[in-house]
Amino acid sequence: MLNAEINSNVLKDLVDIVGTIVDEVKINLNEEGLNLKAVDPAHVAMVDLSLSKDAFEAYEADETELGLNLKKMEQFLRLAEAGEMVRMTLDEDENRLVLEVTNITQKMALLDTAGMTDPNVPSLDLPLSLKVKGKYVLNGVKASENISDHISITANPDGFEILSEEDEDMVRLSLNEEELEELNANEEVRSLFALDYFSNMIKCVSKDTVLEIELGADYPIKIQFSFAEENGSVRYLLAPRIEST
Amino acid sequence: MGVGIRDIVKSQEITFQDMDNKIIAIDAYNIIYQFLSSIRQRNGQLLEDSQGRVTSHLSGLLYRNARLIENGIKPAYVFDGAPDIMKEGTLEKRKERKERAEEDYEKALERGDLEEARTKAQQTSRISAEIEESSKELLDLLGIPCIQAPAEGEAQAAHMVKKGDAWAVGGQDYDSLLFGAPRLVKNLTITGKRKMPGSQRYKEIRPELMVLEDILNELDIDREQLIDIGILCGTDYNQGVKGIGPKRGLKYIKKFEDLEGVLEEKDKDVNNYQAIRNIFLEPKVKDDYSLKFKNELGDVKSFLCHERDFSESRVGSALEKIRDGFKKREQTSLSSF
Repeated sequence: MLNAEINSNVLKDLVDIVGTIVDEVKINLNEEGLNLKAVDPAHVAMVDLSLSKDAFEAYEADETELGLNLKKMEQFLRLAEAGEMVRMTLDEDENRLVLEVTNITQKMALLDTAGMTDPNVPSLDLPLSLKVKGKYVLNGVKASENISDHISITANPDGFEILSEEDEDMVRLSLNEEELEELNANEEVRSLFALDYFSNMIKCVSKDTVLEIELGADYPIKIQFSFAEENGSVRYLLAPRIEST
Repeated sequence: MGVGIRDIVKSQEITFQDMDNKIIAIDAYNIIYQFLSSIRQRNGQLLEDSQGRVTSHLSGLLYRNARLIENGIKPAYVFDGAPDIMKEGTLEKRKERKERAEEDYEKALERGDLEEARTKAQQTSRISAEIEESSKELLDLLGIPCIQAPAEGEAQAAHMVKKGDAWAVGGQDYDSLLFGAPRLVKNLTITGKRKMPGSQRYKEIRPELMVLEDILNELDIDREQLIDIGILCGTDYNQGVKGIGPKRGLKYIKKFEDLEGVLEEKDKDVNNYQAIRNIFLEPKVKDDYSLKFKNELGDVKSFLCHERDFSESRVGSALEKIRDGFKKREQTSLSSF
């Protein structure tokens, strides 16, 4: 059973956050809200998202699994005005999700969740953590996109750096300890990441959102942030690129 | 060419994805022969540049490696060194066959029989020093390692797989199995639609994997016995015993245990069989080789387009695939942490 009403902006964020990793996802619903885990087909990036019932205007649900096609969801959301309420109910007899915005009702076939298992989240013990304002990372990534297809992220007890280099061109975003919200570092670590994955992962981040980053040396990066006015949380994992020698 | 044990060797289909990030030690001569025989003009003539230099092999090496690398596979090429003296008979025969094929080719051309001309032309393929040198030059520009074998390329490739430095041998012959290669992948570079010889029909060719251990278990023999079956059927080093094919060879070896047993029982003889066995059991191989993959392209365009008259746009799109493959190599997967 599902009977909910949610701001289309929140739903759009959710679809964007997960849609950069997969096209189809299994969402676990329960009385307290929803959560999901998904990994992209190449096993390079993973998303772990939860959204509390407080993010909804109205929320009532039993424990259920929803197999959702995010492309279809995205198309439906284009019909909604920014900030408009979306009503969501479940047509359990026909296994369809019923979505309603003003004057439009869409019934969407749900995917069979039998073959959709939650991915195993690797247990990573990352040596360094920091908190940084979204605006810095967004800027650093935007600058890098003009240079190369990958970035290196370095952090040490003095600060944090995003660097992109290709041939003779280079761009660097450096932040010292004061410019960061928090920095827990005893050593210097550096890892390389594919920029297309990275850009997509922070696409929905707003300037004021604080990103919690955990980093290692040639190790996956963990990026956590909240959305839906702190009622939703996202954790991304991205596997590094290893430099050819 | 090679040992004729196909009928008793079971294979399984394998996809490019199954070989993602794996090193395949390719028998270079074997693959270059394939290219020289299959990449030809309609009348059977080899592709050539404006200076008359053969380019069929370069075309094959570029486009096929682009497909492999694009799919995350790491090809390495192993070139033959000096042939074993025991192989002279085979080499002599091949030379005669090629000379005959050349005559037949000319005759077919005179008659205007293009189909026959093409078939005959395919049998005339020779790897000249120029072809070998230009192959190595191109492979190097593509960042692909080339290994010079002390003797047989397949023996060296098998040795590298045995040591765990490569995942499988890539080639069309079964000799590498006799040399002890734990895995052999066939049809790696000829995947796709391929014309059936002597007819207008096309057949879909897919890569096949042969696992030595599975083959030996299935046949319930050991590698020494597989070598003996090979010698009975004929190898590059001997003619084989008349009237014995792989199936009968298998039956005899299982019944009489080894080659000596079969020869005695059937009152047959194979010259120097002990020496032939030793070629497979103790082949000349080396341990000082480097499997270094450069994820960087050399000036392929200048070599192929400016010197050898290849089309810029086709070469460009192949190089694009290779660059994608290089990127893929550098990207790790979450499952490895």
